[in-house]
Amino acid sequence: MNHYSDLEILKARAEAVQVVVTEVPDLAQAWRYAVELTQKQGGAALAAPGWDAESLAALEQECVQAGLRLFWQNLRNQVDGFHTGLTRADRGIAATGTLVLDSTSEDVRLATMLCKTYVAVLPRSRIKADALALEKELSRLMHSPPRYLAFITGASRTSDIERVLTLGVHGPLELHLLILED
Amino acid sequence: MINTAQDLKEYKKRLKKALHNEFLRTTLKNFYEAYPAGRARALEGLDIQSLRAEIASCKDQALPRIEELFEAFKAQAEAAGVKVHLARTARDANEIIAAIAKDHGVRKIVKSKSMTAEETFLNHHLEEEGLEVVETDLGEWIIQLRREGPSHMVLPAIHLSRQEVAELFAKVTGEPQDPEDIGKLVKVARRELRKQFLSADMGISGANFAIAASGTLGIISNEGNARLITTLPRMHVALVGLDKLVPDLHTALTILKVLPPSATGQVITSYVTWITGAPECAAAPEGKKEMHVVFLDNGRLALARDPVFSQALRCVRCGACANVCPIYSLVGGHNYGHVYIGAIGLILTYFYHGRKNAQAIVQNCLNCQACKSVCPAGIDLPHLIKETYGEVLRQGYPKPFKNKLLARVLKDRRLFHFLLRRAYLAQKPLARSAEGFIRHLPFFFGKEHGFRSLPAIAKTPFRDMWPRLYERVDHPRYRVALFGGCLVDFVYPEQGHALVKLLKNRGVQLEYPMAQTCCGLPALAMGEKNVAREVALQNLKAFDPADYDYLITLCASCASHLKEAYPRLLADAPGLVGKVRQLTDKLMDFSSFMINVLRVSAEEFHGSRRKVAYHAPCHLCRGLGVTQEPRNLLAAAGLDYRTARREDVCCGMAGSYSFEFPELSAELLRQKLEAVEETGAELLVTDCPGCVLQLRGGIDKRGGKVRVKHIAEAVAEERKEP
Repeated sequence: MNHYSDLEILKARAEAVQVVVTEVPDLAQAWRYAVELTQKQGGAALAAPGWDAESLAALEQECVQAGLRLFWQNLRNQVDGFHTGLTRADRGIAATGTLVLDSTSEDVRLATMLCKTYVAVLPRSRIKADALALEKELSRLMHSPPRYLAFITGASRTSDIERVLTLGVHGPLELHLLILED
Repeated sequence: MINTAQDLKEYKKRLKKALHNEFLRTTLKNFYEAYPAGRARALEGLDIQSLRAEIASCKDQALPRIEELFEAFKAQAEAAGVKVHLARTARDANEIIAAIAKDHGVRKIVKSKSMTAEETFLNHHLEEEGLEVVETDLGEWIIQLRREGPSHMVLPAIHLSRQEVAELFAKVTGEPQDPEDIGKLVKVARRELRKQFLSADMGISGANFAIAASGTLGIISNEGNARLITTLPRMHVALVGLDKLVPDLHTALTILKVLPPSATGQVITSYVTWITGAPECAAAPEGKKEMHVVFLDNGRLALARDPVFSQALRCVRCGACANVCPIYSLVGGHNYGHVYIGAIGLILTYFYHGRKNAQAIVQNCLNCQACKSVCPAGIDLPHLIKETYGEVLRQGYPKPFKNKLLARVLKDRRLFHFLLRRAYLAQKPLARSAEGFIRHLPFFFGKEHGFRSLPAIAKTPFRDMWPRLYERVDHPRYRVALFGGCLVDFVYPEQGHALVKLLKNRGVQLEYPMAQTCCGLPALAMGEKNVAREVALQNLKAFDPADYDYLITLCASCASHLKEAYPRLLADAPGLVGKVRQLTDKLMDFSSFMINVLRVSAEEFHGSRRKVAYHAPCHLCRGLGVTQEPRNLLAAAGLDYRTARREDVCCGMAGSYSFEFPELSAELLRQKLEAVEETGAELLVTDCPGCVLQLRGGIDKRGGKVRVKHIAEAVAEERKEP
């Protein structure tokens, strides 16, 4: 029997639900990835809430160079205004290929729901084998409300018309996962 | 609007119509055939048996504590700014939600999928109150636009074709739509519904979990609409059945492991959302969402205390019971439930939507146990369906004549056997004696029963042959009693004879206690629990388990009934509980006895390599969980076993079912025989005389070449002279 690492399992499970998984050495690479992807897909703006000021400054610089707009707050005023959502994922769950996001901030929710393409950055050290391994941590978060936690596994999907799998019915049409070396 | 058949005549008319709906048949068949592999893949690496036991036990422990869990949830949620309500009835729930909407000046509501809201017909109520309600789950939106109920708990629009959806969307958008481009149709929904999300004042959701320890709602979705409706509007109201209360996150995560695999064959859905407390919301007056949770009782608290039916509340609404139901695969959800669909729907309809809506559909169960074998909460669905039918009868549904007859005859073995012997005489002019069939159906059968030839009653029942067959064995290795069952005794005594031949010179002292009678399964199938109990008592008198090492059967249905139902039927019989346990412990099917006890080997057989196909009787492979032994026995007997499609799908016999719903039975039989004929086998074997009746009668009718035998006969023919 082969023993796969949690990272390998997470990748395999995520790819099985059409997630594009890429490993990046640092955040600078992540910014470049998100910006180039947005350009390639003809998008004009990114929404990137929840990042610290230093990270945002670097990202903004990339965006300006590429001629893209960047939003990081008050996204409700931009509901139709961004192509790409770019956030950090707090945890990864290997067994199901799932990302866990504390989405208590409304901007984080909107960025991940209203974009066409969602790019998540998951630090490699944040992967756990399964959901039960996160039980205590999640439970602690739930005990400090208000709390809006999201498990995200792949893009928005439906099979409601003749059971044909179709991506992007309401939320993102694509999910790109960047595994960040840390 | 939902309009469920309330009597059998109307119901059968609709079933016939559904059978002729080509699109429905094809789409359901494809789903039925694809589902098992998808489920298995998604469950890979998980110990489903122990997860099922864990979920059942968590739920069973939570049910008597629902009120306590509710109070705990309420305390936590209210401390976090959520208002928690308890609605006693469906109407109360609807009125509470309508009042919340009105108090807050709501005009437009966006909804994510909620079976509980379907249960209360919430949309209907809100619309009557002048509110605009838009379903945002694609399937729900489609059926809302068509003014229909869901036809599956997870795939509500599975009954509709792309053409029907394209036509509908053309009307909605005022532009023609290409039915062949499903991606584009989905984009129409994205575009149209996005406007609704952004302009709604209130979101209404259900919940898959209400975690008492933290006051958290857990919502499972694939489309992401639940996230949007709980985020964009300034208000969120969740309508949640009290049965969704779980004590802690651990229980919720455990259920989450099996729910999506059971529902759609996914490892997990795209989104699982956990909401604790009223979250921030820029659209709300103070930047904080106005959030309400309305718990629905609607009889659940009382049901939770019901000694028989409480387990129905274990249901996690995955829809697996519909996914594997052979009947659902033929007629679809609009003919297999009212609001709740599938096996659990037949039961819950009685509780939530009344006897009239349940009384016809609840009779449409094969008792094939497919639903029970996949239910992630371990609900004994076929048992509860029969109990529900029994309730329907007790509440005054006119008892069919056959029930009255059965109650009179079955309880009196002598009368029953006398009538069977008389039947032999009466059928004589009709009999085709060489083939063992009756030539014409008796006059009281309609032409829809003509899909199979019916067997003639045997001239000499097994019990009359027995004195000649009986052999005393000195110093036997095993003392064994045969439970014959009515079909072996009176229709197929040659199957019993085959057993006698096979046991010869093996040190087995075989007994056939003469006082044995029908196992009682037909009575239970007709909802006649008292009759079933009465014959169980008689059989326990006929067989003292202390006298035998094993009690063997040639009939999977009898065996499964003895094993499953006797302990329940006689749980309150003083002095018999221990006997029943001994009896069920010693009970064994024919193939298991040959393989595991006698350990027969290839040298004892000719090794003819005849090509055989196998039909796994429902009550053997699922009822008793015996799957390997018959196949090993075929191999040991030197037969060339060819696997067939649908090997473990019901043949459509199902006892009296095939007489009540002949068209459905015929269709299942047709599919079964087609699969068997594909294998090129010359012989079809099975280990249940009821299945033999159905399969042999069907082959005869279609002029097929495959011969049908009980596995004991086939194996006996292969044995070298001992």
